[in-house]
Amino acid sequence: MGILDHVWLGIVAVFTEAPVATVLGLPISITVVMVALGFLGGIVVGATPGLGGPFAMAISLPILITIFGFNPDALLPVLGFLIGIMKGATVGGAVPAILFNTPGTPDSLMTTLDGFPMTRKGEAGKALRIAHFSSASGDTFSDIVLFTCAPFLAITVEAYLDFPEKAALIILSLAFISAVVGDSVWKGILAALFGMFAAFIGTGEDHHPRLSLGSDALAGGLPLISVVLGVLILGEVFAALEDMWREKRATDAIAAQAAGGDDRLKLRDIRRILPFVGMSAGIGTMVGALPGIGSTLAATLGYATGRRLHRGEVRFGDGAPEGVAATEAANSAVSGANLIPVLSLGIPGNVAAVFIILATETISGFNPGPAVFRLTPDQVNAEMVVAFGLFTAMVLANLLNWTIGGVFMRSMGIMVRIPKQRLLPIVLLLTLTAIYAQRPEMLSIYVTLFFGLVGYVMRRLRFSVLPFVIAFILANNLEEAVRQAFSATGADPWFLFSSPISIAFMALAALVVVFFARGRERKAI
Amino acid sequence: MRIDPWSLGIAAVVAAFALLTLGVWIPADVESGVIETFRRRTVIGDAMAPSAAVIGMAAAAVLLAVSGFLKPRRKEAAFDGQSALFVVQLAGVIVAGLAAMTYTGPLAVDAVNALGGAIGSYRELRDTAPYKYLGYLVGGAVIVGGAIAVVEQRLTRGAAVAAVIATVALIVLYDVPFDDLLLPPNGDQ
Repeated sequence: MGILDHVWLGIVAVFTEAPVATVLGLPISITVVMVALGFLGGIVVGATPGLGGPFAMAISLPILITIFGFNPDALLPVLGFLIGIMKGATVGGAVPAILFNTPGTPDSLMTTLDGFPMTRKGEAGKALRIAHFSSASGDTFSDIVLFTCAPFLAITVEAYLDFPEKAALIILSLAFISAVVGDSVWKGILAALFGMFAAFIGTGEDHHPRLSLGSDALAGGLPLISVVLGVLILGEVFAALEDMWREKRATDAIAAQAAGGDDRLKLRDIRRILPFVGMSAGIGTMVGALPGIGSTLAATLGYATGRRLHRGEVRFGDGAPEGVAATEAANSAVSGANLIPVLSLGIPGNVAAVFIILATETISGFNPGPAVFRLTPDQVNAEMVVAFGLFTAMVLANLLNWTIGGVFMRSMGIMVRIPKQRLLPIVLLLTLTAIYAQRPEMLSIYVTLFFGLVGYVMRRLRFSVLPFVIAFILANNLEEAVRQAFSATGADPWFLFSSPISIAFMALAALVVVFFARGRERKAI
Repeated sequence: MRIDPWSLGIAAVVAAFALLTLGVWIPADVESGVIETFRRRTVIGDAMAPSAAVIGMAAAAVLLAVSGFLKPRRKEAAFDGQSALFVVQLAGVIVAGLAAMTYTGPLAVDAVNALGGAIGSYRELRDTAPYKYLGYLVGGAVIVGGAIAVVEQRLTRGAAVAAVIATVALIVLYDVPFDDLLLPPNGDQ
């Protein structure tokens, strides 16, 4: 069967499997319902300062697994919900940034620069509409690039890369992630290697689980969900609580927020912002396709480029609609493109992609990577059907974004009134409960808290946690690829340099590290 | 030229960890070596991956220390006495909350039994309301209310009410709709 047959089967799976209701005679499938719920929930979470897509994904995953189970039928509803959250949170993050000068998510920080001045000028409604239009445009553009690039990249990887090249590619990805995030290349590499070391505990091929210290608790390896949620979610909660604790000690108050206004978006406004949306969508998509960089840098690059091109009356930073458009289009364009490395290479590039991998690790039937797009004559590749089902879910979320997303987003200004110092302790308990629901033993809570402390200390010492988490996830794949490459090349110790492609990947890895290390040192001196 | 003390400190700790792991932990706790030859077939052993990781960590730590000599010292400390005080306060709240979560249910059941209730052990009642909710409700409220109190530096009635409502809401979210989900600590009993 060809690719188009799989595309059709993916669309059919999303719209017809497991109908839960009928509207105007048309059956509404569970996946459609879950995408819609995830999208609307994502907007709510994004609009709540202190929360974000990763929080919602972490908390909902165990509940979704309990509802839908571990078999392949669960894949599309669960992944559809997570995709919905990812997209909704990106849109929702602009709401508090514009209305209250408080970014709902880190990538909305640049939105405050022009969004809040627009609110002060009484143009809050226009700013929100511009943010929504730009965000939905950037997201849609990015998804189209994902749909066209991921299958071809995966097919190329599968055709040309053997074990040594795959091992070298994982090393290159980890080197890139380590080098580009955080304030020091060496800290990034240290975090990645620490993540790999943690993943090696209790695993291996010997009868005795290595590095388990004779403990039954460590013999099965560190639980993936406990480590990931501990470092990503609890580490962030602890650090944010400490920031507020310090603020209270210093000023005897925790910052509160004010209210905003309303206005219209006209056709001439859209014409005015369109070049900025187009440019930022391109920047965001390129940035998103590279593992580890993320939407915050995309927003910064989009805003900086927009400021250089801008010739209008209102300057960037004084409430220019083009500033809001440039930022929102760029950060939203990351969300589709960052699934390119996940689906084509099996390498998660950012936090949202980590949760997609966590879901597929838990539910059977879908292993993101080059094999997903492998075509076999006269046979259906069930994984490819899921991949195209996932693309269909993304299109569906975009349609929801274009139709009801704007109205729902503009009604979410109220979420900023929830005090962060009361919300985050609830997130702490919610995360521990979610962990326990998935793995009902107190040990999993203790492991999560320990890695929460690790994540907190890493943040305080200015280590980025992303290299740690991604290396933890990829470590065993890398070890397996290295073992097989070593065997396949007849125990050649130079197996990573056995072909021009693997040599190129290793050279690129070294170049990336040297380039960013030299750049940072020069900036620091 | 000023030295970044945090980079040096991190580098020293990581280097010590790497030395201990390579010298003691890996030899004592990994069955196979770095490379193994078995029936003329040479394969990578279980010690290879962790050894490579810690050697890489040590190398990165050395380079971090070198960069610490080149970077100017930052104005703000990364982790100071205030951070330690906050960690101790929050850890106290979490430990108290987890202890309450673990022991409230069994203690309540023991108390009922001691008063002549003869209701059986907590293990037998771990999926029976209201006993299955007691530990989570008390422990959860201690964690949420305590963490709010740490940040606000006082315990208000509003924070206590918010903690109880949030914990009840989580019970409704996680336990009431699902027969096969267990709230902490009931899976361990």
